[in-house]
Amino acid sequence: MSAGPTSASPTGARAGEDTPARTHEPATIGTYLVVAGILTAVTALEFGVIYVRRLAPILLPLLLTLSAGKFALVVMFFMHLRYDSRVLTFLFVAPLVLATLLAIAIMTLTGEFLVFTR
Amino acid sequence: MAIPHALRRHELVEAEATGVWSWLTTVDHKRIGILYGVTAVAFFLIGGIEALIIRLQLVRPHNTLVDAQTFNALFTMHGTTMIFLGIMPLNSAFFNYLIPLMIGARDVAFPRLNALSYWIFLAGGLFLNVSWLVGAPPDGGWFGYANLTTLQFSPGLAIDFWMLTIQVLGASSIMAAINFIVTILNMRAPGMTLMRMPLFVWMSLVTQFLIVLAFPPVTVGLIFLMFDRFFGTHFFDVAAGGDLHLWQHLFWIFGHPEVYILILPAFGIVSEVLPTFSRKPLFGAQIMIYSGILIGFFGFNVWSHHMFAAGMGPVADAAFSIATMIIAIPTGVKIFNWLATMWGGTLRPTVAFHYGAGLVALFTIGGLSGIMHASPPVDLQQTDSYFVVAHLHYVLIGGSLFGLLAGAYYWWPKMTGRLLDERLGRVQFWTMFAGFNIAFFPQHFLGAAGMPRRIYTYAAESGWGFWSAVSTIGAFGIGVSVLLFIVNAVRSLRHGAPAGADPWDGRTLEWRTSSPPPPHDFDEIPPVYGRDSFWREKYGDARGRKPTPLPPAPEPHAVHMPAPSHWPVVIALGIGVAAVGALTSLAVVLLGVAVLVIGAFAFALEHHRDPAHVSQIGGLEIDHRKLAMWMFLGSECFLFGTLIATYMAYKGRSVTGPHPHEILNLPVTTLSTFDLLMSSLLMVLALAAAQRGDRRQTRLWLAGTALFGLIFLGFQAYEFTAFVHEGLTLQTNLFGSTFFVLTGFHGGHVTLGVLWLLTLLVLDLRGRLGQQDAIKVEVAGLYWHFVDVVWILIFTLIYLVP
Repeated sequence: MSAGPTSASPTGARAGEDTPARTHEPATIGTYLVVAGILTAVTALEFGVIYVRRLAPILLPLLLTLSAGKFALVVMFFMHLRYDSRVLTFLFVAPLVLATLLAIAIMTLTGEFLVFTR
Repeated sequence: MAIPHALRRHELVEAEATGVWSWLTTVDHKRIGILYGVTAVAFFLIGGIEALIIRLQLVRPHNTLVDAQTFNALFTMHGTTMIFLGIMPLNSAFFNYLIPLMIGARDVAFPRLNALSYWIFLAGGLFLNVSWLVGAPPDGGWFGYANLTTLQFSPGLAIDFWMLTIQVLGASSIMAAINFIVTILNMRAPGMTLMRMPLFVWMSLVTQFLIVLAFPPVTVGLIFLMFDRFFGTHFFDVAAGGDLHLWQHLFWIFGHPEVYILILPAFGIVSEVLPTFSRKPLFGAQIMIYSGILIGFFGFNVWSHHMFAAGMGPVADAAFSIATMIIAIPTGVKIFNWLATMWGGTLRPTVAFHYGAGLVALFTIGGLSGIMHASPPVDLQQTDSYFVVAHLHYVLIGGSLFGLLAGAYYWWPKMTGRLLDERLGRVQFWTMFAGFNIAFFPQHFLGAAGMPRRIYTYAAESGWGFWSAVSTIGAFGIGVSVLLFIVNAVRSLRHGAPAGADPWDGRTLEWRTSSPPPPHDFDEIPPVYGRDSFWREKYGDARGRKPTPLPPAPEPHAVHMPAPSHWPVVIALGIGVAAVGALTSLAVVLLGVAVLVIGAFAFALEHHRDPAHVSQIGGLEIDHRKLAMWMFLGSECFLFGTLIATYMAYKGRSVTGPHPHEILNLPVTTLSTFDLLMSSLLMVLALAAAQRGDRRQTRLWLAGTALFGLIFLGFQAYEFTAFVHEGLTLQTNLFGSTFFVLTGFHGGHVTLGVLWLLTLLVLDLRGRLGQQDAIKVEVAGLYWHFVDVVWILIFTLIYLVP
């Protein structure tokens, strides 16, 4: 990483003006261990549910929900987005949402997920 | 020149050094802006010559100046050059030179990265044009439609040159865009709130977001094309189940925002020029900002209007048609606000003002024909006709180029300290205005009369000869005008009248410093009194009440000027050599990669432990590096989103086996997933240890994370080997192509992460990773966790979903 002139970064003047600060307490080691435990349990659950035939009708939404939950846990706790500036949340979540919509559009317009008649 | 007391004298000497070496190693945003400008003008001239040859060939029916093959190459190279090597870098010249000055900063957030962006751009531009010298210029159009560009229909090196160039230029653009986003968000002078920023800075910010998010999808498309051409995959192989619409989608998901990448900076320039020469504030400045944001946002939702003729069906056509028409609303707002800015103003008809007003008129014509294309039935008549050529040139010349020329006349005195000749400038403007309209307005008629674009000649009976000849005469008028500008520029540099700091009675902060500005931009960080801060400082508010002078911003550290660096040139050289190697031999690729890796390590560690670089906290109370990493991860969402979407879109379309359910090993992958998740735990423990200064635990957890990463890679190597033994390779079927490219790219990211972690570990073992370096562990950790969350999605969508 390169570095800019430090004096060109006058600090403090706009903190709180453009970026409302968050007041959550930072995560502790205990929090990390709990999150890791949940991630392990959910991964095991994901592996298990695909063998349960009764769940077949809801398997897709179930797997997607579990996956989204794991994704959110890592981003919020391990990547500290829950505790950091909302600017960072915007910089990541806005592209994430747009990319998801775009992926759905590509799948819809190009793939077997076609809902329109060409 | 006054030297601020805190500026170290040796840094000033370095910053003011002259000679070739000083330019090769410069990291000064102003010099890099000049480098971008001069290089872009050179490429622009090449693209212009290509255009003139095209027009000469079409001047009369049955002309034989060039053959069909050369004509294909000419329009491909003209489009690619003007977009990627002309207009985009000319915009970059203004971004570089002006953004720090306009927000009251001393440089960009990452000066060396800024230099790297430039040198990679130069490497890409030279690489593309080498294709002429080796007799293999790209000839597949600037859009490179597959499967025309696959090996079957385009053997030889021509498409390879184009494909590699766009990837190289994309890397340069994304780096630069992240740099400017961080600069604008985090380095504004105290008091410069977002809504007080000049319109040019705002439009530049929107443009950077578009670049960061639009380039990854086309990069993925180019990677697919590269794999099809180099490694025999089947992404665009219809016989194997591939879909040619995929290329068109991936290209235009980038290609349409690219139009706004080209035009929004020009809108920003005009929004500075018109108020200055109307001596009025910009009418509805906040609405202008929101309009720019909306244009950027909607620009992402309209790409398929380029594909109405491809057969997407009525629902998709209707959706994209409506979205396209909606864009006309914020664009119209801008047009009317510019008119309202001039209305009742005290107009000063300088050349810059001429170009600003010219943009308003000509872009409106291009915008109106754009709305015509938004209607699918109308578009079907106009597709691939000269009507479209007329439309896009009214947007890109009448819009972008006129805006850039307005900016050139407006800021030339700031950059050089000398004025351009206004009288010669007016001649130049009217030559350009007349030449442009003579060249391109008749093309509407030609298109309506049915003349297809990209034909190298036509029959006399077609009736297209007269307007084609007129168009050619107009094109030469543009050429004369460009030459007049160069003459004006050279004369100004030699003996132009001195400009002074504020020759136009400007409104924004760049006019508050000398012309040209000193290396440190401002002796003191300028105070900000509101929108049009410098104007308020000079003349007060609407009632003439001047603001109470503010004290200079506190500068807790010495004014640190970034030191020159030669590593950006080395890295760009490595990339250039690797690109040449891709067309010649593996040994040359490896040589290029070796240079690149050595350069990258040296670049990364160049200022490690330099006290001036330890703290990079900006105005948002966030470290520049952290902000940049999050933005990069946002961009990566688009990269992996596109890769995953392609896998899903192609799922079940392989015409031969093996198929996923026959070969994927779920238990093994579940184990590797668990391993990667736990590596994230170790990573966050390493960060916690680094933050509390516990070096032993930092070392332990970093080593653990790297080890778990290596284990994951081991799992992946095992899986790949097993698949190959079972008959699944990249070339076997569509499943093999999509699976190996997606998981392989993820594996590449993991490999990079492991290298990064090991580098930190080595630094720590050598006692060079202290508590103050926790931010470096944090940034590496963000990357690592992101790789982890991507795998969470891949695990579900590729392995678990039936």
